[in-house]
Amino acid sequence: MTAAAPSSTPGSVPAPVPDARPAGAFATAVHLAPLFARRRDGDRLALALPVAAFAVVTALLLVVLGGAQAFFGWDDDLAFTYEAFAIIAVVLLVVPLATVGASAARLAARRRDERLASLRLLGATTGTITVLTVLEAAATALVGAVVGVAGYAVLAPVVGLLRFRGEALGAQMWVPWWWLPLAVLGVGLLAAASAVVGLRAVVVTPLGVRTRQRAGTAHWVRVVIAVGVLLGGMVVMQMLGVLGNLGGVVAIIGALAAIFGGMLLALDALGPWFVRVRARRQARKAQTVPRLLAARMVLEDPKAAWRQVSGVAMTSFVGVFGAVGLALTQTTSTEGMDPDEQWLMQDISTGVLVTVAISFLMVACSVGINQAAGTLDRAAVHVSLDRLGVPRSVMSEASRRAVMSALWMVAGGSALCAAVLIFPLVGMAIFVQPIAIVTALAVFAAGFLAVRGAAALSARLVPGILARPERVL
Amino acid sequence: MPTRDPLVVRRGRCLAAGRVGGMTPLLSARGLTMQYPGGTTPALDAVDLDIAAGESVAVMGASGSGKTTLLHCLAGILRPTAGSVTLGSANGPVRIESLDDAGRSRLRREELGFVFQQGLLLDELTALENVAVARMLAGVPRAQAETEAAQWLHHLGLAGLEQRRLGELSGGQAQRVAIARAQVTGARLIFADEPTGALDSATSVEVLDLLLAATQAGRTLVVVTHDADVARRCARTVVLRDGRVVSDTAAPSQAATAAEVSR
Ligand SMILES: Nc1ncnc2c1ncn2[C@@H]1O[C@H](COP(=O)(O)OP(=O)(O)OP(=O)(O)O)[C@@H](O)[C@H]1O
Ligand SMILES: [Mg+2]
Repeated sequence: MTAAAPSSTPGSVPAPVPDARPAGAFATAVHLAPLFARRRDGDRLALALPVAAFAVVTALLLVVLGGAQAFFGWDDDLAFTYEAFAIIAVVLLVVPLATVGASAARLAARRRDERLASLRLLGATTGTITVLTVLEAAATALVGAVVGVAGYAVLAPVVGLLRFRGEALGAQMWVPWWWLPLAVLGVGLLAAASAVVGLRAVVVTPLGVRTRQRAGTAHWVRVVIAVGVLLGGMVVMQMLGVLGNLGGVVAIIGALAAIFGGMLLALDALGPWFVRVRARRQARKAQTVPRLLAARMVLEDPKAAWRQVSGVAMTSFVGVFGAVGLALTQTTSTEGMDPDEQWLMQDISTGVLVTVAISFLMVACSVGINQAAGTLDRAAVHVSLDRLGVPRSVMSEASRRAVMSALWMVAGGSALCAAVLIFPLVGMAIFVQPIAIVTALAVFAAGFLAVRGAAALSARLVPGILARPERVL
Repeated sequence: MPTRDPLVVRRGRCLAAGRVGGMTPLLSARGLTMQYPGGTTPALDAVDLDIAAGESVAVMGASGSGKTTLLHCLAGILRPTAGSVTLGSANGPVRIESLDDAGRSRLRREELGFVFQQGLLLDELTALENVAVARMLAGVPRAQAETEAAQWLHHLGLAGLEQRRLGELSGGQAQRVAIARAQVTGARLIFADEPTGALDSATSVEVLDLLLAATQAGRTLVVVTHDADVARRCARTVVLRDGRVVSDTAAPSQAATAAEVSR
């Protein structure tokens, strides 16, 4: 939009930098790096955000690893069971953590793309651009990761307050020191790798970054298959006893793993479709501008809307299982259990809730990052709407609604699927152990509030944008 | 150096006032001055301007002469560092510059219409929704807002395109949607900043026709333009240089526009 963009002055385009050999590309890139890194002061926020995002990713990663490895120091009879549950929890948190990582990488890429596109127009070669991108992504991520280690140092004692077997985790939360540089390096490498992947669009077409494609829509056949998987899961669930008689514990665990895996895939296929169908309906019915806008924003890319919050899908699913199962075991047979087993029951319940809570926290972070990036991306729209006299709250409310509506679908939908699978048990649990169910609901509610808060946070960027409109128009 | 004689300015104003015929102007600026925080010289320097209801005013001048700044001050988008802007409204005159952010925002929403070069519409919404939104913000129920919006789109030659998303419209079509949006609220005063800047000449003529047609219906138009053809079709041309009004004429004098614009 700026008339002075380098791309619009063909007369001043320098000759392409010749760099046929990779070494040449590297040398040119290093030469250009300071230029590339120099930015107007307005970009400070855009620079700080990806760093903060990578810091959050690293801190959460270390907290999860720290919590999981805490159990590996134990060496009694039940240690193996705790370790197994710890591993399951880590596996469940991989998806939400990956979501945060992806948002961080995307945020970093957004800011980069525009300058890369203009570099490309100026004649920089693919090699130069690749090297520059990887350098910047790695540098941003490394700085963020180091900050994240500090964040871990702050968070670990807090999480260490959690009690297992009646004792706080405390110092067990600390990972071995040499994990820290590994985590920092790992985050840096992943960021660099994702930058290379994300780069292809820019390299293929200099203008590629500006042309937004319309997202493909989910086909109804996938919905049918997904529903089939869900029904199949229900059947298998009913036959668990038979399976147990036939093949023992291994068969049961195998069947459960298959059900969970199937559910995850089914949810991922169903989710975007449901999100789209619901948003269509909302777009038709909306009576206020924020509602209409929110629905239209979701319809713009239902898959992205789903993916942003899909990190809570599996944990919500497992959360219902855990809460119900534990509610029932707690009432039935505490009498005959030895104290260790009673602790185990208690601790699984704690573990399930903590895992659900962390997954919501991760989704909240990823939403916060995505919304911030989205707000900066749409800065020009904010300025335009403000000029038209559209109240400032309209856009913020719209984007918050877009997130929350998808979150309801994800968390509500997966919890509902789980409840359907073990339907009779849920009913029983509500009657015999309302407290356990209420606790679980409270965790979900807190999770929703956290995501909502994160979504609302980006509205704070708007006054800054409106105060300096000339930067974006 | 061409004249900066205040007489020239005053003469222009008298001319304008003469046409107004003693009526109170719809919009009236006095001593309008805008000094941007970083700027060395003011972007607007004590501008006096009266605009009568139903007038079409072209604002011309070299790049950087303060046209956009003037438009934004008149429309309450920017708060001038000094001077006043008075809008005659049904409930008596309103001093725009003394309203707070929310008040000016409300004024823009309810009383003014805008057509800029680009970017005042939402990509996600359909053409119809983009126009209807302006009414919904005023509390009109969606169904009625869409009926009114559809009438405007039809009136502006966009029948059949109501359900297109904005990205699926041409530049000229999008600009018509913006014109519909500017008028659907019943705004009496429309501000346009280079509304034809991104269009080819044939489309420019069409878009300008639609804007001028709005003045026929009693609305008032203030249009910033680089295009002498656009200015020629307006009832009055104000030329700015270095933040001052250097000419203000009923018929666009070739000499003034050519001399001032190509500077
Ligand atoms: N936000 C700002 N901060 C500082 N100076 C500004 C700002 N906006 C405009 N200016 C300066 O004020 C003067 C008038 O700018 P303005 O945008 O009003 O000019 P214009 O006549 O609309 O130009 P153009 O024809 O290029 O759009 C210019 O010198 C410009 O550099
Ligand atoms: Mg301008």
